[in-house]
Amino acid sequence: MSGEVIVFLLLSSTAILGGILMLNLKKVIHMLLAVVLTFLSLAGLYVMLSAEFVAAVQILIYSGAVTIVMIFGIMLTKHQAKEEKNKNPLRTTLVGLGIVVFFVTIYLAIRNLYFGQEATALHVNNTEQIGIKIFSYYVIPFELVSIVLLVALMGAVVLAKGEEGDEK
Amino acid sequence: MDLKTLLSFEWGMMAPEFTILIVAVILSLIDLFGKDSIKKYIPSFAVAGIGLALIFLLFQYGHEEVSILYDTYIFDSFAFSFKFILLIGTLLIFFMVLSKQKDEEITDRGEYVYLLLSALLGTMMMASSGDLITLFVGLELLSLSSYIMVAMRKRNKRANEGAMKYIINGGIATAFTLFGMSYIYGISGTTKLVDISREMSSALGTTEPIATVGFIILFVGLAFKISSVPFHMWTPDVYEGAATPVSAFLSVVSKAAGFVIIIRLFVTIFNTGVEGNETLYSSMIGFVAILAILSMLIGNIIALRQRNMKRLIAYSSIGHAGYILIPIVSLSAMTLENVWFYLLAYSFMTIGAFMVIYILEQSEKSEDISIFTGLFQRSPVLAISMTIFLLSLAGIPGTAGFIGKFNIFVGAISADPAQYILVGVMAVATVISYLYYFNILIQMFIRQPEFEGRRTVNKMQAVPLIACITGTIVLGIFPFIALNFFS
Repeated sequence: MSGEVIVFLLLSSTAILGGILMLNLKKVIHMLLAVVLTFLSLAGLYVMLSAEFVAAVQILIYSGAVTIVMIFGIMLTKHQAKEEKNKNPLRTTLVGLGIVVFFVTIYLAIRNLYFGQEATALHVNNTEQIGIKIFSYYVIPFELVSIVLLVALMGAVVLAKGEEGDEK
Repeated sequence: MDLKTLLSFEWGMMAPEFTILIVAVILSLIDLFGKDSIKKYIPSFAVAGIGLALIFLLFQYGHEEVSILYDTYIFDSFAFSFKFILLIGTLLIFFMVLSKQKDEEITDRGEYVYLLLSALLGTMMMASSGDLITLFVGLELLSLSSYIMVAMRKRNKRANEGAMKYIINGGIATAFTLFGMSYIYGISGTTKLVDISREMSSALGTTEPIATVGFIILFVGLAFKISSVPFHMWTPDVYEGAATPVSAFLSVVSKAAGFVIIIRLFVTIFNTGVEGNETLYSSMIGFVAILAILSMLIGNIIALRQRNMKRLIAYSSIGHAGYILIPIVSLSAMTLENVWFYLLAYSFMTIGAFMVIYILEQSEKSEDISIFTGLFQRSPVLAISMTIFLLSLAGIPGTAGFIGKFNIFVGAISADPAQYILVGVMAVATVISYLYYFNILIQMFIRQPEFEGRRTVNKMQAVPLIACITGTIVLGIFPFIALNFFS
């Protein structure tokens, strides 16, 4: 087993662990930390794929900004931690079965996958290449993304602002 | 790339999109800084903008194919004809919005208008793009705008519930779509549809299982937008909760956009086999056929039990999504034409039905089916227009819905191999749908009115009604106008 495989296994299992913890923890802040664990391990996986820029963005945006926004959201809204024991054994079994079937399907699909030659020049100027791609090839979707952000911003304002009657 | 190559592209072809974008931005600025006396006219400005975009689009009729920036924007006859439906549909919905001068439920009318415009922009980009990235960004622009529009009725409990369901379901569907796209990108190494289809047409070898999985996951994710099985459960709750024009938008424009992206992706990517070699699409047709059958049956059977009018239309729209999937299963030269015609007919009749419900809902403050009781005595005009729309939805000869269904029927039988099972299920589903459509007719013409007083239709309300009635009847009697326009 090469070092690469070991690192991959470590990172991917921590990513999955973070996801499972997030679903099972009770306190919201703990959940957030679990999500951060997932995000950081994903960033590690990106480094392994020679995508350093994506890894840096992942840490900056997801582990940093998104988490902070979520913390704000939690702190600024009324939040009562309610423990609901609503476990339906039938549903759990069905979901579990579905996951197993999905896993087996995907595993069988990718078992014999052969991609041919591995790329060797992935790490050469990759940030520069991303920049060139975005600003020459993908200008239209890039500009469209800015409208998506504008819409999201407007939506946040519309949904969060109190109605005129509320202030009085 | 220098400025010269950038300017060498035919940017003028994007005029409809630019118009919508500029109008949306200007309207949001007016809403921010403008005086109240100008703000009143924001919806009218939007109508003018869409009209202008429609004119620009019509000037492009018959234009040769154009590709801008490596296919991230393409113009072809497919893009032209489907953008036509999207613009017409949104225009009719704006007439609906205009018909109500004061809106108590949605106080932020300005936001509502430019969110509709931005959603329209997303759908138009989906119609004319040959690249996975642009398609996905357009899809997300549409989704985000729709989530917000549904959630804007803040005081309404049902709207909150609907919006929550919508965003969670939508998030899951987006994850599915993206996951499927990532598999397809993984095996082809490109996001450009033409290149992907070239990769897919050569022997897939060991990557074939992955391509199959990607196909299924992608289709399941996109089923959300057309509200067909397995992502149909949000439809009734969201339609019921959202303001009626928004429901009409989701049911017509958003659904049309869903079909646009499905046709673009699946027909271009997967349907390009080498001669004699079975394509991935033809081997997966059974899967799509099952989804179509389930949508037709589930939508129409559950609609039988609905008393809330918007829920009823929601279930019937699930059924209609099933009908429109039939031509996609029975691929032939007629497929695009049939889907296009059905979507056009569907826009007129569904927006018309929503418009009648909208008028009655405002005067009776209820969405129950009882608002239709004795409508013929209270308002013959509304009763007759609703009759036309219902007959068309049911597919009675003389209306656009009949021609649409008939074309799909003939297309499925003459396809190779003929899809007899699908045609049979479609016939059964149509008969089931008669039960609930005709139940509304009984309420209107036979039952005694439960509400007092006559209802009149004012001028602004008449505009969308007349437009929809004209569309439904003209397409029903002279379908060749539209079919010639398409080809």
